[in-house]
Amino acid sequence: MISIENLTVRFGGVVALDHIGAEFSANVSGLIGPNGAGKTTTMNVISGFLDAHNGHVIVEGTDLVKLAPHKRVQWGLRRSFQKEQIANDLTVRENLMAITDHLRGARVEKRADLERAAEFAGVTGILGKMGRDLNTFERRLTDVARCVIGHPKMIMFDEPAGGLTPEETERLGDLILGIHDLTGAKVLVIDHDVELIERICAETLVLDFGKRVAFGPTSEVLRDPAVQAAYLGIDVEEEHA
Amino acid sequence: MRSTTNTIWAVLGLALILVLPAFAGGQWVKIFTSTTTFALAAAGAGFLYTRLGMVSLVQVGLMGVGGWVTLRLNHAFNFPFEINLMVAGAVTMFLGNLIALPALRMRGLYLALITLMFAAGLDIVFTAKQFPNGAEGFWGVGTTFAADMRRPVVAQSDAAYLRYTMVWLVIGFVLIELHRRMAPGRAWALIRKSEAAALASGVNVTLYKTWAFGLSGLLAGLGGGLLAGSLGLLDSATFRASESVMLFALVIVGGARFWYGAVIAAVLFRVVPGLLNNWGVDADLSLVIFGAALLHAVMTAPDGLAGQINGAIRTLIPSRKSDNKGAKA
Ligand SMILES: Nc1ncnc2c1ncn2[C@@H]1O[C@H](COP(=O)(O)OP(=O)(O)OP(=O)(O)O)[C@@H](O)[C@H]1O
Ligand SMILES: [Mg+2]
Repeated sequence: MISIENLTVRFGGVVALDHIGAEFSANVSGLIGPNGAGKTTTMNVISGFLDAHNGHVIVEGTDLVKLAPHKRVQWGLRRSFQKEQIANDLTVRENLMAITDHLRGARVEKRADLERAAEFAGVTGILGKMGRDLNTFERRLTDVARCVIGHPKMIMFDEPAGGLTPEETERLGDLILGIHDLTGAKVLVIDHDVELIERICAETLVLDFGKRVAFGPTSEVLRDPAVQAAYLGIDVEEEHA
Repeated sequence: MRSTTNTIWAVLGLALILVLPAFAGGQWVKIFTSTTTFALAAAGAGFLYTRLGMVSLVQVGLMGVGGWVTLRLNHAFNFPFEINLMVAGAVTMFLGNLIALPALRMRGLYLALITLMFAAGLDIVFTAKQFPNGAEGFWGVGTTFAADMRRPVVAQSDAAYLRYTMVWLVIGFVLIELHRRMAPGRAWALIRKSEAAALASGVNVTLYKTWAFGLSGLLAGLGGGLLAGSLGLLDSATFRASESVMLFALVIVGGARFWYGAVIAAVLFRVVPGLLNNWGVDADLSLVIFGAALLHAVMTAPDGLAGQINGAIRTLIPSRKSDNKGAKA
C-alpha cells in the first residue's frame, strides 16, 4: 500500500500540489493529468528532490518524507526520469552497479541480482555497451533494469513510453506488469499514453493544476466526466451527443 | 586494443622513468622534476573536471600548502621525508574537503569563482608569510637562513629524486584510475550526469563530492611536497592564484580525459617557459601561445591534445570495435 496524505508543494506563490491524497493498493497504479498538472512534482517529492510543505508518503509503514533522498533508495525506492538519466560514460553494467554499490549485501549476491535484473529487462546482451551508444528503447530498458535491482519496495516511472514506437510501448508495458511478480514492489506510472495506462494500471490518480481530480479503478476514472473535461480535453456535451 | 595501448603506455612510461633522469643535464633535471610535481596537481584538476564536471582553480595554491607543510615539518622535526609528504597530502586533502562544502550548493562558474577566491586567499598568506626556511617560530622564516632539506634515502641525487617524483606521479595516476573503476567512479559519473540521477541511484552526493575534492587536494599536496623536496626553498611567486588559473587552462589544452593530458599540461606549464628562456625569448610569450592553444582546444578539440593523440593512435592501431573505455584514464 502506497498512501499519499495531504501532500502540498509550493514554488513561490504557485501551488504545484494542493493537499493531494490517495491510497494506492494495486500492484501497478497510474498517475495522469495534462502538462504541468504536478505529476513529476509528485514523484520528485516522493524521491526527496523537493521538500513538501506538508504531507506524508507512507509505504509499508515507513514515512518516506522523513528520509534523506539516498536513504530512500537504500530503503527500496526506485525511479526513472521523464528525460532518462543513464550516465553516458559508463557501460550499462556500470550504470546498474552504480545502484548496487550503495546497497547492503555480499558482492556475489549483488552480482547475481544485477544479472537477474538485466535478464528481466532484456539488456543482458548490451551490458558492455556505453551509455552514450544506447538508443531510446535500450535506455528505457536499462531504466527498467535499474529499477528492479536490489529488492525494491516501490518503483516510479515518469513517462517511460515517451519516444517509443507502439510495439516498444507494448513490450515495456508487459515488463512493467511483470515487475510485481519479480520483486514484490508496488509500481507507479506516469504517462500521457492513456491506452498504456488503461492496460497496465489497475488504479489511477488524475491531477490537474496540482489538484486531485479523480482517483479509483482506472476504467471508472477514465469515464469520469470531470476527468474527460480536464484531462482528455473532450467536451462532455459532445461525447454525450 | 585496450590491453595493447595500456601495455605500450606502461612500457613508454617505464622507459621514460629510467632514461629521462639519466640523460637530462644540469637545470633540466630540476625542470623535469617540477614538471612532474605539477603533473600531479594537473591530474587532480583534470579528474575533477572530466569525472564530475567541476572546475577547481586552487590546485597550485594547494600545492603551496603541501610545500609549506613539508618544509615546516622538515625544519621542525626529524621525520623521514615520506612522513612529511604524507602529512602534507593529508592537510591538502582536508582543505579539499573544505572547498567541497560550497561545491555542494554551487556549480559551474560560481563554484569556479569560489575556488579562485580560496586561491587568492592562499596567495595573500604566502606572500605575507613566505615559506619556512629553517628559522625559529611557527612561520619559520629568516632572512639569512637556508636550512637543509632532507630528501628520501633512496633519492639523494637530483636524478634519483626525479625518478622518485615520477614514481609518485604514477601512483597518482593509478589512484585516479582505481577510483574510476570502482564505486566512487560510478557515483561521480552519475553526479556529472545530474544530481537527481545520482540521488535516485542512492548516491550520497555530499560524501562523494567531498571525496573527489579531497582526492584532488591530496594530489596537489603531494605535488607541492615533492616540489619542496626538490628545491629545498619555495617562493610565494610560484603559487600565485594566476598560476592555478593557468594550470587549469593548460589541463583543458592538454586534455583532461586522458592521464597523459595532465603530463602535457605540466610540460606546457613548466618546460615551454624554460625553452623560451633558453632561446632568449621573453617567457611571457608563453602566455600568448597558451591563450591560442586554449582557444584551439575550446573550439576544435574538446578532449585537448591528448584526445588528438589518442585519436591518432586509434587510427594507427586497428581495433576490432571502438573501445571507449580502454585508453581513457
Ligand atoms: N523546480 C520548479 N520550480 C518552479 N516551478 C516548478 C518547478 N518544477 C515544476 N514547477 C511547476 O510546477 C507545475 C507542475 O510541474 P510538473 O513538472 O510536476 O508537471 P507534469 O505534470 O509532470 O507535466 P508534464 O506532463 O509536462 O511532464 C508546473 O506549473 C511547473 O512549471
Ligand atoms: Mg512531468
